[in-house]
Amino acid sequence: MSDELDEIQAIFFEECTEGLTTAEQGLSAMQAGDVSAETIAGVFRAVHSIKGGAGAFGHADLTAFAHKFENVLDEVRAGKIAPTPGVVKVMLSSFDVLSDHVETAKGLAPRPNDAAALAALEKVLADKGAADESGAAPAPAPAPVIEAAPAPAVAEDEFGFTPVAFSLDDFDAPAAPAADAASWTIRFKPSRAALANASEPMLLIRELETLGATIESVDVSDVPPLRDLDPEDAYFTWVLSMPGDVPRNDIDDCFDFVAPDSLIEITRNEVEAPAPAFIPVPVIEATAPEAALEDLIPFVPVMATIEDLTAQVQQVVADLAATPMTPTPAPAPVESAAPKPASEASQTIRVDLAKLDLLLNLVGELVIRNSILADRLSPADRQRVELPELARLTRQIQDNVMSLRAQPIKQAFSRVPRMLRDLSAETGKQIELETVGETTEVDKGVIEKIGDPLTHMIRNAADHGLESTEERLAAGKSPVGTIKLSAEQKGARIFVRVQDNGRGINRERVKAKAIEKGIISPDAVLSNEEIDQLICAPGFSTAETISNISGRGVGMDVVRSNVEALGGRVEIHSVPGEGTTFTMILPLTLAILDGMIVRLASQRFVLPLAHVLETVQPEPGQVKRTSPDTEVIDMRGEYVPVKRATEIFGLNDDRLVEDSLVVIVESEHGKVGLVVDTIDDRREVVIKSLDQNLHPIRGLGGATILGDGSIALILDIEALVASTSRYTPKGLAA
Amino acid sequence: MTTTTETASDCKIVTFTLGKQTFGIDMGALIEIREWDEPTPLPNVPTFIKGVTNLRGNVIPVVGLAERLGWEPSAIHARSCVLVVSIAGKQAGFLVDEVNDIVAINRSEIQPAPEVETIEASVIDGLVRITTRAKDGTRDENGTMVLLLDLEALSLTRHLDLAA
Repeated sequence: MSDELDEIQAIFFEECTEGLTTAEQGLSAMQAGDVSAETIAGVFRAVHSIKGGAGAFGHADLTAFAHKFENVLDEVRAGKIAPTPGVVKVMLSSFDVLSDHVETAKGLAPRPNDAAALAALEKVLADKGAADESGAAPAPAPAPVIEAAPAPAVAEDEFGFTPVAFSLDDFDAPAAPAADAASWTIRFKPSRAALANASEPMLLIRELETLGATIESVDVSDVPPLRDLDPEDAYFTWVLSMPGDVPRNDIDDCFDFVAPDSLIEITRNEVEAPAPAFIPVPVIEATAPEAALEDLIPFVPVMATIEDLTAQVQQVVADLAATPMTPTPAPAPVESAAPKPASEASQTIRVDLAKLDLLLNLVGELVIRNSILADRLSPADRQRVELPELARLTRQIQDNVMSLRAQPIKQAFSRVPRMLRDLSAETGKQIELETVGETTEVDKGVIEKIGDPLTHMIRNAADHGLESTEERLAAGKSPVGTIKLSAEQKGARIFVRVQDNGRGINRERVKAKAIEKGIISPDAVLSNEEIDQLICAPGFSTAETISNISGRGVGMDVVRSNVEALGGRVEIHSVPGEGTTFTMILPLTLAILDGMIVRLASQRFVLPLAHVLETVQPEPGQVKRTSPDTEVIDMRGEYVPVKRATEIFGLNDDRLVEDSLVVIVESEHGKVGLVVDTIDDRREVVIKSLDQNLHPIRGLGGATILGDGSIALILDIEALVASTSRYTPKGLAA
Repeated sequence: MTTTTETASDCKIVTFTLGKQTFGIDMGALIEIREWDEPTPLPNVPTFIKGVTNLRGNVIPVVGLAERLGWEPSAIHARSCVLVVSIAGKQAGFLVDEVNDIVAINRSEIQPAPEVETIEASVIDGLVRITTRAKDGTRDENGTMVLLLDLEALSLTRHLDLAA
């Protein structure tokens, strides 16, 4: 039972995470000046859903805070509080506290101190009151501002005031006729599956009650005999009467999230007495399933003995108690947890990642089988329409499965604004964040794994990269430091950059520190790039004192090892006085590769096709030595450096370059020619990582299993090209 | 001879030979025993890593166990086997000269290995004497000393730095 609850709670927390992400994006947009109704409504909905779920699971602190936050958002949404930068700032810090509350609810963090944030929210609400008074529309009743806060769209409150007391005219509809004599009759029969759809009818009725509705009658005639009763289905039909001064819109809003197959009839009675459509029964206070059941039992024609019946009821009650939407004893009205507004057209479905990965593996095998089939067929058969068609379909399935795993990198970026706000508070530095290319899509596996490196890079930039405000002013810079976070796709690689406009790397100090730490020898002669790379050496930290933020000497080391484990690299570019750019260069996908099967010293290797520009069979003299160790190839007048992978890998190869092929590849370091024996084939291969059972090997991007079951190693072009020109200092090559 | 009743202190080991030595590994770590099949060689790895092979869609490294332990490399012959083991969630194949037997031993019979001065932590977990069955079925009452291997210490990822 509790397992089931836990499971549902886990879903709630997942939704919380999504809600927080949405809210943060919205708030960030508002901060950037986008105060459109849509944006504000998005934030409101997100906070509202969190509040609703939190109430259902009895997270009182979270509920209370979310409620206050929601009140402010609601006022902003209704246009009663202007979303000025000051207000947005309060909302952003409230958002942070809200995130902390969610963590607390998860049991991961102690209860945050929300007093300051609550006070700030209160103040915003109070200021709004002032603004309202100066506003053109006079409020007919001088009701306390906060009590009047629940807005028309989603009228909910937790202040416990009785429905009768709430008889104010609605703010949005001051012209609503105050026809005391008239009233509304609402007939509501929820969809049978209402409970399964998380639209607990009782909560909706509570919501109506807060508007002033009273239950006139409950029709229980649809309730089946107990034996046929499904405790998770809804059977009742309610008839409620609502004071006539409540605007129709408000009533309709209550039914916003109700399943479409529910019966909702709202009629206006000009005579005061509502005409109940059914035999009036005493008003059922449908506060607990037990109560409802007790009322229900007398109607059930059962032949069973009393004991028998009792046992069944107990069972049903137990079952009911186990259903997710059983209301908690706390007087927390919960709205249906439907997180999507009806207007949003795109529908999503939550899928277990393991299932997706299995699908991906299977598609991978399908690709292999497809290749084998092609090999087995005679050339004539290969030309027939079926095979190309099958190949095309397979490729489409593969692309689609891959795209299922692709997520906008926004997910990884989303925690950065919060982090920077904290960092800004801790360091006293003014930091502005700029993000570019956050819609770039990357494989989910990559997104999950760049979180930590990204955190370290941002911390590093904020702590070491950017100067203090005083230093910046002294250097004639703007007092506000900028960190630019960008992502872009180039070929099969994703570039994620963290760029600061701070002081740049102090190479003298880095070198001195590296010597002191024994990372390099005192007489080492290093290029600027090599010195910059030292930052990523294990155990290196230049911070004079270990700060709370970074400086434990593990940060950049972790960044590099994490990124390399993904088959990527970290590049550092720094200009003294102007800033530093850290670039993570990551593979787009972790699973499937379009490759060229080549031979090096007779062994088969896979060369990622994304890098290949062209292939040439060199004429005698076309490849020339420029030093004992370096060669270039003359490509129509352009001299392209040539690398021999066989040498880098230490393979025996005495083949003449004229008998070989030179594959011109595009790399980060420009064009390079790779010498290979022959090209066997071109095919798609499933990447199997080497570190699953071994460890990453420099120069290799993994391995793959060819159609005949044998293994071919996948070349990592970037590492091969870089292998001799970079990473020269010993100890960095790990 | 160990007791035949299964108690908590009983464990089963797989014994195999490398040169003239008899080694044993915990039966629980063994996945399967395969015939030797030339693996795909890897560049830039220590020589004791013979390469990688395909184990039902998994790419696993094949290690020359004799070289790994500092003995003469095994010559490949008809009875050469690869013991596929799982070490801390990673799979690896160990090339051995011959697989002998599966025997039950009592943990209390394991004696500590003598301290040896090597650079790395000892990969020998302990020594245990077992009685072996001779080819004609009679028992060798003197028994054989088995070197029990500490698979964790043999974990390949410990050699990240060496391999790079």
